[in-house]
Amino acid sequence: MRRLTRRTGLSLGLAAAAGAALGRIADARTTTLRVVWMGWPDEQVVPLMDSFRKARPDIELAVEQIPFVQIFQTLEVRLGARTADPDIFICDSPLTASYAVRGHLLDLTPHIDAARFTKAAIDAASWQGKIYSAPFGSSMPVLFYNKALFREAGITPPEPDVTKRWTWEQLVEVAKKLTDPDKNRWGFSFEQQERPYMLLPLGQSLGGVALSPDGLKATGYVDGPAFVEAYSFMQKLYTEWKVSPPGLFDPNLPVEQFGNGRIAMLVAGTFNEATIRNKYPQIEFGVAPYPTFAAGKPVTPTGAWHIGVNPRTRHKDEALAFIDHFMSEELQILWFKLRPYPPVLRSVWEKEAATFATDMWRIVRYELDHTAVPRPATPGFREYEDILRVALRDITTGADVKATLTAAAQKIDRELQKYR
Amino acid sequence: MPAAPAPRSSSPSGFRVPLVVAFAFLAPALGLLFLFRVVPIAIALFGSLTGTKLTGETVFVGLANFRALVEDPSFWRSLEVTLVFNLVVNPLQIVCALALALLVRRPTRFVPAFRTAYIAPMTVSIALTSVLWAILLEPTAGPVNGLLRALGFAPQPFFRSEDQALASLVLLASWKGVGYWMLFLLAGLLRIPEELHEAAAIDGAGPLARFFRITLPLLRRPLGFVFVADTTANFLLFAPVYVITHGGPNGATSLLMFEAYQAAFTYLDQGRSLAISVLVLAILAATVTLQLRLFRERG
Amino acid sequence: MIAGRGLRFARTAARYTVLLLVALFFLLPIWWLLVASIRPTAETFRSSSEFGLATLWPSVVTFDHYARVFAGVLPRAVANSLFVALSTVVAGILVCSLAGFAFAVFEFPLKRPLFALVLLTFMMPFESIVIPLYVLIRALEWSNTYWALILPEVASGLVIFLFRQFFAGIPKELYEAARVDGASWFQIWWRLTLPLSGPVVAAGALVLFVHQWDAFFWPLVAAPSAELVTVQVAIARNVTLEVANWGELFASASTAILVAMIPFLLLQRWYVRTVGLASER
Repeated sequence: MRRLTRRTGLSLGLAAAAGAALGRIADARTTTLRVVWMGWPDEQVVPLMDSFRKARPDIELAVEQIPFVQIFQTLEVRLGARTADPDIFICDSPLTASYAVRGHLLDLTPHIDAARFTKAAIDAASWQGKIYSAPFGSSMPVLFYNKALFREAGITPPEPDVTKRWTWEQLVEVAKKLTDPDKNRWGFSFEQQERPYMLLPLGQSLGGVALSPDGLKATGYVDGPAFVEAYSFMQKLYTEWKVSPPGLFDPNLPVEQFGNGRIAMLVAGTFNEATIRNKYPQIEFGVAPYPTFAAGKPVTPTGAWHIGVNPRTRHKDEALAFIDHFMSEELQILWFKLRPYPPVLRSVWEKEAATFATDMWRIVRYELDHTAVPRPATPGFREYEDILRVALRDITTGADVKATLTAAAQKIDRELQKYR
Repeated sequence: MPAAPAPRSSSPSGFRVPLVVAFAFLAPALGLLFLFRVVPIAIALFGSLTGTKLTGETVFVGLANFRALVEDPSFWRSLEVTLVFNLVVNPLQIVCALALALLVRRPTRFVPAFRTAYIAPMTVSIALTSVLWAILLEPTAGPVNGLLRALGFAPQPFFRSEDQALASLVLLASWKGVGYWMLFLLAGLLRIPEELHEAAAIDGAGPLARFFRITLPLLRRPLGFVFVADTTANFLLFAPVYVITHGGPNGATSLLMFEAYQAAFTYLDQGRSLAISVLVLAILAATVTLQLRLFRERG
Repeated sequence: MIAGRGLRFARTAARYTVLLLVALFFLLPIWWLLVASIRPTAETFRSSSEFGLATLWPSVVTFDHYARVFAGVLPRAVANSLFVALSTVVAGILVCSLAGFAFAVFEFPLKRPLFALVLLTFMMPFESIVIPLYVLIRALEWSNTYWALILPEVASGLVIFLFRQFFAGIPKELYEAARVDGASWFQIWWRLTLPLSGPVVAAGALVLFVHQWDAFFWPLVAAPSAELVTVQVAIARNVTLEVANWGELFASASTAILVAMIPFLLLQRWYVRTVGLASER
């Protein structure tokens, strides 16, 4: 029996030794930049990082690919600890102000030549006149439609022409004809049925302003008459006209339903073009601009991933070298080819003119220059987005529009107090 | 009639041993718990009395976080939702788990396979469970509504309706939980000697009498564990709310822990988040004390 | 007599009907997931809203999703998670059963407050202590090591509580007899209590295993480096804001479920054996 305890002691010792060896895995080299990146597939991440490693062999990169669902939370914990970790992190562009006011972003104004970028990208990267995040991609939704379903119903589809942009009123009339509850077929859906990103332009099209100019007050803005009107219209898609499938909880589900021919028209990001083409090769689809209200002006959403530098980094020069490299034309072209977000560098649009000669990219380019409005600049964007998102979801299920928006605006105001 | 002498339990006092022996048994676990749980919890408790400035400095604010909660109607709504959810889900899961454990106690033909089937959802992580059930209960595209339609019933909104969302959450939690809790009750049942039942049966006790006179008293400790652990698990549950409903529709699923999570990671208000956590902890501790008292060995 | 046999048959039939229906409730969702992992994604969603055979049976079987996830980080992630989970189980069972034994059998000063503290440790939501825990791990210079993933989870209040509850049910006379025979308390714990507690030890092992197998947020915070990727992280990487690779998501999730089933099947044998022992005694 005594032998037994000795053996236990021995194995515990062995375990400790093994553990000590394991502990050395995270051994630091000369200069290692810790990079928190989105959990995109390896083949869309590794070539970018290798490109930098080749340019700067003296700098090692430790890249962490964090899944989308937890990236904000993970960053909150890591940055919230206020250490030098990580050196560089991927930053959702509307969160720029949030990170900036809390001291999580290095001022990049001296390192970014604003003239090289599209205006929408620089707007999204700025807070109080300074550039805090390096633009790394943009976004733009368009209207996808199923050509076969239009032919079947004998309806003329929308045109890929920004001067012949459909109105929402027009779209609903067509959607009614394309909806067939017996076949579980729906005339129209938003890709993101509840995210302010895709839905703020509805109110903005009618002249609504999403948030006060100082970014700290929602009451009187997001619950104003324009938004009430716009979201009442949106609500009827689900409750009165019943042309949109209610309750697709994940923005990726409407895309599948479009691919399966269950949704005839879909407002969705450019990214879905590739997804639909690859996953549903049998479907024939066309592209048209994001609609507008008959009484309003065209407005589209934009913004995407940027890159930020932790101001507490111990390797500031190396981190800035990383930013410079990632803002280079060569790298941005590579990035576009790996993952086709609308480019933020003006020169990429010129250099890759052949790629951008399609209907979709022509529309996107026009929108980025003329109709795109970044999400409201506020340090409280996360709070704003989340509260509004829940309100929009409740509206789609039939909640009173004015009351829901008012309650949401008050809640937002309360959360924004802390930034005053 | 005492059916059969149940194995006498140790008195609550236990054996007096030299301090060094008790220490040797306890030190590894308590040392680790102290470092990785007790210290962080103490920091969190203190954190509930602080606020964080934008610059990251923490300032002592006393009970301000708690006062703000008490004055917030949405907190009371969350509290109500949390209590209703727990008053339904815990008894339901425990009764189902106990029924299943009794059903699979005797290893007759195929029963081992059934046991495995019941605990299979344990292998599905809670995040995945949430995604899976979100798809299954999807109002328009989900297979469950497909089944309802095929059987001639009207499709249901499930998580999309104020009336059904919490019930759907109970369903999801029970799918994941019942087999899990069954496991512990089964472990308890298997320790009750078969002879006790046989003796009681010879004495003419019916199945119901045997259940109440033998099984239930001897299952007291495992049941106590399951009550406490299940209550804790359900009070702390929030992943499905985060993934599927985000507290809605209209606050119908705004469990307190979800609000705490939101406060920390969305509203960036650590103080409020910790204050909610501390209240959850207090409610839990009170509930658990009550439960343990209920299951405490008499005498 | 015949009526009695008929009644018994009816009862058996009823019992198995209930067993089967309950099994369907638990298994069908998992079955749907497994099927979704081996069929083209288009078919998964095409068949989902019209329930029929096609919902539960693929018309086309493809292993493309598996091929892709196995070419990616998943194998590494499964290996990492298995290492972390099994290390935690081995260390955790020892550490927690020692403490559970002490709480169940011994009398010592501060026993009740200490036990209350143990209970408290699993009632505090993990999300509330994640920041201090992260700061601690960094201070120990353990971030991006297996230590950070394993050590904080070895001592589990829940498992200590589980052991205490079951160990306290073992008759005191057995311990007294063993003491009279001159056994030390360590010997009693190892030779008497643990062997008598097969199903409970197995259940405790499962609790620890599942806890680590499901770990998601903590690995991202404490050990996010590529070499230390864990299985839930690998699964979640299949979903981004723009694209959900449902097929890959289902394939990696199915892999995680099937690998995690192995300890459950082993446990099954343990249960059967313990029952045998109990009736021999």
